[in-house]
Amino acid sequence: MAELASIGSYERGKGTGAAPSARPFWRIGYHTRVNLWGFAFVLPTLIFFAVFKYGPMLWAIALSFTSYDMVSAPQFVGLENYRTLLGDPIFRDTLVNTFVYIAGSTILLTASGLGLALAINTGIPGARHCMMVMFLTNLMPIIAVCLVWRLLLHPFGVVNQILQHFGFGRIDWLTDSATAMPAIIMVTVWRFAPYFMVVFLAALLALPDDYYEAAELDGAGPFRRFFHITLPLLMPTIFFVVVVSALLCARIFLMPFLITGGGPGNATRVLSMLIYETGFSYLKMGEAAAISVVLFAIMLVFTSLQMGLFSRSERIYV
Amino acid sequence: MASLDISTPRRVAVHRYWPGLRKAIGLALLAALAFGFIIPILWMTVMSFQAGEKMFQLRTEWIPSVWHFENYPNALSRAAFAQYFLNSGIVSLSVMVGNVVFCTLAGYGLAKFRFPGSGLVLLLILSTLMLPLEVTLVPTFLVIHKFGWINTYQGIVSPLLIDAFGVFLMRQSMIAIPKDYIEAARIDGAGELRILLQIIVPQCWPALSVLAIFAFRDSWDQYLWPLTVVSNDALRTFPLGLVQFGEDYGNPPTEQMAIAVLATIPVFLLFAILQRWINRGFGLSGLK
Amino acid sequence: MTKARNWNPTRRDVVRGIGATGLGAAATASFAPRAFAQTKKPVNLSFWTFDNPQQRPWVNKRIKLFMQQNPNVKVDFQWFPFGDLGKKLSVGFATGTAPDGFVSQDWFMPVWLDKGLLAPLDVKKLGYTSYDTFVADYAKAFVDGATKDGKVYGYPMWFYGYCNYLNTKQFKEVGLDPAKDWPQNWEQLGEVAKRLTVKDGDKFTRQGFKFAMHAAQWTMIQFNPILIGAGGKWFDDAGKCIVNNEAGVRAMTIRASIAQKYGAEDPADSIATNPIPGLDFLKERCSMFFCHPLPISLVKAENPAMAEQNYFRPVQYPGFVTGKGISTTYGFNLVINAKVSDEKKETLHDLYKFMMSDLVDAWRDAAPFTFAKKTGWADNPEVQKFPYVNEIIKAKDEGVFLPRSLVFNELADAMHRGVQKIMLTKADIKTTLDEVAAEADRAAAAYKKA
Repeated sequence: MAELASIGSYERGKGTGAAPSARPFWRIGYHTRVNLWGFAFVLPTLIFFAVFKYGPMLWAIALSFTSYDMVSAPQFVGLENYRTLLGDPIFRDTLVNTFVYIAGSTILLTASGLGLALAINTGIPGARHCMMVMFLTNLMPIIAVCLVWRLLLHPFGVVNQILQHFGFGRIDWLTDSATAMPAIIMVTVWRFAPYFMVVFLAALLALPDDYYEAAELDGAGPFRRFFHITLPLLMPTIFFVVVVSALLCARIFLMPFLITGGGPGNATRVLSMLIYETGFSYLKMGEAAAISVVLFAIMLVFTSLQMGLFSRSERIYV
Repeated sequence: MASLDISTPRRVAVHRYWPGLRKAIGLALLAALAFGFIIPILWMTVMSFQAGEKMFQLRTEWIPSVWHFENYPNALSRAAFAQYFLNSGIVSLSVMVGNVVFCTLAGYGLAKFRFPGSGLVLLLILSTLMLPLEVTLVPTFLVIHKFGWINTYQGIVSPLLIDAFGVFLMRQSMIAIPKDYIEAARIDGAGELRILLQIIVPQCWPALSVLAIFAFRDSWDQYLWPLTVVSNDALRTFPLGLVQFGEDYGNPPTEQMAIAVLATIPVFLLFAILQRWINRGFGLSGLK
Repeated sequence: MTKARNWNPTRRDVVRGIGATGLGAAATASFAPRAFAQTKKPVNLSFWTFDNPQQRPWVNKRIKLFMQQNPNVKVDFQWFPFGDLGKKLSVGFATGTAPDGFVSQDWFMPVWLDKGLLAPLDVKKLGYTSYDTFVADYAKAFVDGATKDGKVYGYPMWFYGYCNYLNTKQFKEVGLDPAKDWPQNWEQLGEVAKRLTVKDGDKFTRQGFKFAMHAAQWTMIQFNPILIGAGGKWFDDAGKCIVNNEAGVRAMTIRASIAQKYGAEDPADSIATNPIPGLDFLKERCSMFFCHPLPISLVKAENPAMAEQNYFRPVQYPGFVTGKGISTTYGFNLVINAKVSDEKKETLHDLYKFMMSDLVDAWRDAAPFTFAKKTGWADNPEVQKFPYVNEIIKAKDEGVFLPRSLVFNELADAMHRGVQKIMLTKADIKTTLDEVAAEADRAAAAYKKA
């Protein structure tokens, strides 16, 4: 620290316009030192990720080629685990379920997030308070969310009671394989839509007014304004929301686990549940690692999309 | 509401009336939407004061005829919930502080410094977003075991300590800070840490608040990881206790709701405290 | 000094503790002098069991008593939800953090034994004179689960059979006499259940009968006797799963008939209501239920009227042949981790011997959970005066065991999913059972490869 101070005092009074070749040696050192500080700031995080993210993932990949029951040493089996998975109807069902869940939730989350944001962004006083109230569902502990919704979706529960007033018969939300996955998707949307509403709101607020004023002067109605100005300008945000919600849904565990336990049958079993069961119920760590690799591959696709997006856009949405 | 100016002609008066009415209807609709959204939270709170039998009735009793306040102390005494909440508190506060500290450091390093490989480092850090605990559960457990941290606080806290999303968040909020401040401070002889603490951080309260609330909430929510790494009742966090509560004989479901309400309060409280900055952090300061 | 950190005493515990200290002192005074009194070195043990509101506190109580009498011994006592214990143990073994002693569910014994994780027990240190006297103290089925190659690996503890519990008040309401009209075969079960059912539109306010649908182990326990009674088997001699053969299909059809043919059950309600299905019986939302023995304290806690007026009673399972119903028997063994030191082994033997030395005391705390042992408790007058105790003991003695398979977890999960498909989505029984058998075979094949 002291050396930096002394170097700084040397700099006093000097402009920054000196040509690189004319820089004295210690000035180059100054920049390097500063940049070293930058690296030092990042280092703890890098080490952390090496130990807790990259290390484990490499270990998981290695494990996926072994048969390991945690009691005896791992035995190399090559691609056997992957072959088993391909032939396992439960894995196939789970994979399909995961994709259905990701697709359904992502579409609904994007649509409802945008819809809610548009509803809030109408200049109505008090809208912000409504937004904050809705945001509470995103903060509620997820365990509470799961337990409460499991009770609400009971055949005798509140949801059915309300639907009865509209003439619906009894719907066995969590035990009918046709409605179980939609029910989980519904709870997911309820939980996460407010977050994406906030994301879209921030984007909407940042949209420049000029286009809108010009459009109004030209006599464009609200729908044309939306489809021709708002939507195109929001494309980066929409893309961001789609990718982030897909990532979120790919790794979902608690909601299907606590609300339906994967049932009825296999209707709501998702990959993360299968990993946990295969590894900790059946003690097939090698196979569980193989499923982890599959889930990782899915997330890799979405993350690459996301990183491409981040490096391109200037304005980053929280 | 705008007062009606009787002196103006009728047509203009209607014009003045109309936007107010529209806004009132709009607000009513929005309020209804918000209310409908949080009905489950309200239901949970109402049910936490009901007797156990009322849970599975054909017609829900929305206003309890008898308020069972004793559900709360009863529920807490059925298992070591005081300990569970304390554990959760310790874990969540540690994770929150850890995230705030390390994400700020890393975000600053990536935002304002151009060391060789900084682009690669950013990429590496961002790509950990595809390595959540659900994917790395087994090997992470084995790593914690190697450190001898099974059944310890540090064992629960460590894998959650830094989140790439937080790094990214801090980086983005710091990029906007003009370099001149920093250069000037350097010229004045300030050390790097001082610059960080006295110049950068004060400008990042909104982002820090967002980071803090999400880090707290995510660790407060953790179930799968503590389930895997804790086998000692003294270290259980409340989600484990809450789920187990429902599986034990003789525990009224309404008491489970009571615990759920208690668990919801800290997160809501933190949100209320940090609210002003969180709004700005999300970029919502322009919202009415 | 010996206070366990994680024990929050309720009033009940304190009263029991005081009572137990007195009783324990009286009980142990009558037994042979403790064999291990020589060494006074401090011994630290860890012991795990599953959670049960009556059984777990009693085990804890006995351990505390043991620690009082042997001040150099410290036991770290941990418990887990019933379904989680097996998982925690597996992970513990893998990471070297498994407990020194624990309670093993009977159907897990093959897995532990196959991997060599249990230490053989010295029956002499448990109070038996020889291996033969040990074997003579139990019916063959219990011993089979606890021994291997002539060595004893588990000390059978609580074992009980499922009974059909009836709500006698509701029986009388519909004009039935519980003593005479209790269902003795499956058709009768369906008919009686139908009479007892009360509906409100398309919702059941009272189900005549109810199967548990919330956990794989319950599915196995409740289906096991139906399968065996129909002449079926889980695995054939070659180890192939044959639950999908003709007998298996017949058994499953019978199981499904209560809801599908007689309209007396609501499977969707069973799952969605979750916690414990026995609770629905205690809250009088169903009239009959296959359950493990129900403690009076549990009934009292859930339905004081039912406890006071005593309008519940266990009867035997219905059978395929009238009056020849069989039940499922299952239970728990006390076992020792193979990797512990000899000193800890000795102490654990003493602990187990102490725990099992006063079964009447256990009965007082945890009646009517029955024991596998033949001697030491069943003839005691306190035991005999428990209502219908002989039905409960009969269910245990004549019941069939769950398949002790190396892939029990996979089989249970597969059956559970299959039953859900059949009951909730009306899937075809034969096709679904074929899938279940295929899954079990796949798991077994994978296990062999490992």
